[in-house]
Amino acid sequence: MEYEFPDDIKYMKTHEWARIEGDMATIGITDYAQHQLGDIVYVELPEIGRTLEKDSNAGEIESVKAVGEILMPLSGEIAEINAIIIESPESINSSPYGTGWMMKIKVSNSSEINELLSVEDYKKIVEEEKK
Amino acid sequence: MDFVPHDDKTITEMLKVIGINNLEELFQDIPKDLIINSLNLPLGLSEPDVLKNLKELSQKNKVYSNSFLGAGYYFHYIPSLVDFVISRTEFYTSYTPYQAEASQGYLQAIYEYQSVISRLTQMDVANASMYDGSTALAEAAIMATIITRKNSLLLLEGIHPEYSEVVKTYCWGQGINLRIIAENKLKDELNEDIAAVLFQSPNFFGDIEDVSMLAKRVKEKAPNCLLIQCMTDPTCLGVLKPPGETDVDIFVAEGQSFGISPSFGGPGLGIFAAKKKYLRKMPGRLVGKTKEIDGEREGFLLTLQAREQHIRREKASSNICTNQALCSLSALIYIISLGKTGLREIASQNFQKANYVKIKLTEIPGYEILNKKPTYNEFIVKCPDVDALTHECKQLNLLPPLCLSKYFPNLKNIVLVCVTEMNSRESIEKFINAAKNALHNKKEGKK
Repeated sequence: MEYEFPDDIKYMKTHEWARIEGDMATIGITDYAQHQLGDIVYVELPEIGRTLEKDSNAGEIESVKAVGEILMPLSGEIAEINAIIIESPESINSSPYGTGWMMKIKVSNSSEINELLSVEDYKKIVEEEKK
Repeated sequence: MDFVPHDDKTITEMLKVIGINNLEELFQDIPKDLIINSLNLPLGLSEPDVLKNLKELSQKNKVYSNSFLGAGYYFHYIPSLVDFVISRTEFYTSYTPYQAEASQGYLQAIYEYQSVISRLTQMDVANASMYDGSTALAEAAIMATIITRKNSLLLLEGIHPEYSEVVKTYCWGQGINLRIIAENKLKDELNEDIAAVLFQSPNFFGDIEDVSMLAKRVKEKAPNCLLIQCMTDPTCLGVLKPPGETDVDIFVAEGQSFGISPSFGGPGLGIFAAKKKYLRKMPGRLVGKTKEIDGEREGFLLTLQAREQHIRREKASSNICTNQALCSLSALIYIISLGKTGLREIASQNFQKANYVKIKLTEIPGYEILNKKPTYNEFIVKCPDVDALTHECKQLNLLPPLCLSKYFPNLKNIVLVCVTEMNSRESIEKFINAAKNALHNKKEGKK
């Protein structure tokens, strides 16, 4: 099974990704994660304006057979959430890095970006999990 | 499906896998002095001897011809159709379905139960049921704290004292604060930290609350606070405005009045219903209806299971993974055999008979109805001598009303009277006589 691993984003070992643009970051879950979860039926995201710390719980993602936690890759304030995935959660399955993005945050501590994984490091983690 | 027990060979294999020598080792955490080595059981009896034995035991029971006792469990007529249907062995012996989709019959029954409850209460969604009214209330309270992410609850006085105790127990384990307050303190006590306001209507003392007014007061001061209603005798829905037409967010009730014998105080039925927006946080099982992928045939299934603890684990709002299947079936048969007109008739009789008793009691000097709000089938009465009344009722073979001092030691000489469609004119006349006799015997110093 070939998964997508874009190289213009950073990763978490818990399978979230973050695309940094200036002081904003777009967050979602990886192609590997959506595949593991199966058909996604529901997403719960925090309210706009809420501030959350890195690694804290930022919502839940439900498939027919499992529930997964979404963790914050970086600390920040929730600026925007993607209405498309609320209406059509299956977009996360079909386009996890594109229309299936989950939320945009205002990054409060840019030094945390260095703690995120590069695409190569994340690929290694997926390889380990597949064993 | 056959029952296939483990044989010695299988047991030995399993023990080997987990690395122990015998079954006894599985219990090694139990202190040795608590392990029972032998049960001192007498020899078995023959069937006629067993029947004789049980009959003698049963004759030790005092069975009253009629009851004026309510306070959470009620005597209502159970149509023979209920027993007829639930006595089918497929229903009677089977608990609740696991590998549920193989039990289409029971799933359909539960689906129908959910549907009638939803219709009767006018709430968007009802689950397959909880254990009883009290635990359903506790689960609703927990659900509210999860939805709002707040940690405090307000319980209005008038909730059945045992229900409040159950809610307290559930909350203690989860570190949730709760306070029981009088309704007039609501304005002062409500703030943004409150997850929900819980109330009972008709309440423990019989008062029917103005739910719309209460909802308005709560939602105006704290718009994010949930409103949870509980009810101990839902036959009142035959005449009262259903919760779905108010701003009640979660509705729970004790379903025993729907076709379940009071027995010794159980089993009960936890009716649980909520507004649609809370669907994904609802505890309990939910039965849904669906179509097969390759055709048009419909089938029933357990749905939205990602709510439940076997998938959601510690993030689930409850660890319940069952429902009161047989009791929910009883309630379903009760409700549909009565139908809309039957339920209205039952409720109307309850209301009118109770009202009649109120009037007759008021005619006796020394008896005073204390309710200031309208009531359904229960009301509280100040009596000249509660012990005398209890004695006189028993003399006339009537199960006496509840003495409030059982739960509220400072409320002496007040009883909670319950009158249902099961109280005939004769039994009501007897009760009024008992009340009159209690007066005379008190005067004469008799007990």
